[in-house]
Amino acid sequence: MPAIGEGIYFRDKVSWQSPIPASELVTVDRARAWSDGAIWVDARPDEEFARDHVPGAFSLNEDHWNELLAQFLPNLSRDKKVVVYCSAESCNAARDVAKRLRDEAQLKDVFVLQGGWEEWVKKSK
Amino acid sequence: MKTRLLIFTLSIFLGVAARAELKWEQNTIELHPSAGDKTAVAHFKYQNVGTIPVHFKSVKASCGCTTTQSQKEVVNPSEKGEIIATFNIGDRTGQQMKTVTVQTDDPNPTQTTTILTLKADITPALEIKPPVVYWQNGEEPKPKKISVKAAKEFPAKEITIKSNQNFESKVEPGKAGEWTIEVTPKDTSHPIGTALQIQTDYPKEAPKSFYLNVVVTTPPLPPAVRPNVANTPAPKAATPPASPAGGLER
Repeated sequence: MPAIGEGIYFRDKVSWQSPIPASELVTVDRARAWSDGAIWVDARPDEEFARDHVPGAFSLNEDHWNELLAQFLPNLSRDKKVVVYCSAESCNAARDVAKRLRDEAQLKDVFVLQGGWEEWVKKSK
Repeated sequence: MKTRLLIFTLSIFLGVAARAELKWEQNTIELHPSAGDKTAVAHFKYQNVGTIPVHFKSVKASCGCTTTQSQKEVVNPSEKGEIIATFNIGDRTGQQMKTVTVQTDDPNPTQTTTILTLKADITPALEIKPPVVYWQNGEEPKPKKISVKAAKEFPAKEITIKSNQNFESKVEPGKAGEWTIEVTPKDTSHPIGTALQIQTDYPKEAPKSFYLNVVVTTPPLPPAVRPNVANTPAPKAATPPASPAGGLER
């Protein structure tokens, strides 16, 4: 009962209520199906990327945006879809990085990975 | 008998009256760091207005960019304290919102978890528009213009930009604190990208520099490997794209 009470009371205050439109979300299965047509972007902090990441993913986080963007852009083919992920569904970093890629780098096909790194790991088992 | 009844009544009264309550001065704090600041710090003050101590079970920030510091583990009745949230701005700009979730052992379920919110409006010291400039592979290498504007709190008087072997660049001053940069690729026949460094003269003791990304894009993919949205079987992990000729310069 207390848990239900908390769930109702905090329903508008919990960060996992992401405002990302459905059209900008992609599941792990769908993103993998894009194969070479997708570029993976890891929006997590440097140390988390260094520990492990999606094979071939580029690190691009807002802590070192300018430096990492300069490394990322030359590898980008604008025909490819960009898939951005952070740690989990509750994380907002991927949404923020995806928005900056659309606004600043003027990229169109940018998606946020549903469930983030957690979901990737689960689907990889 | 009367004594027992009195003791019983008193114990019920005390049990009902005993409560913990951490009262927060503000649950949301808005900060306005100056252009060029590295951190924004919020002090979330509280007081235990209840009758029993409150123990902090966890204090967690929503983002690795925010660190928290709790002065106490236990807050006794009428004691005050604060949780300090330090937001490391990094290269973020615009409206930012970070949360800190505080869990205590307050027996009231509506008080057990508190969400503290830090809002910050980050003004970039130097506004560069657009921050990334593209030329298509094979496009005529015409110059493109970028506008640069310094924030009021960042009184740079002069900026310089270095050309490199692949891109020529020059700065045209405008009104005070405004400039136009013109960049021209020498060759667009092969993909290349680089970050041109914009050097300012402020602050005097350690002038800050910024980056303008200039990119000649890779050629478009052949139709056979363009991604489609139809369901395709046998998904496989993405493989790293081949680095374009020229790679990255700094």
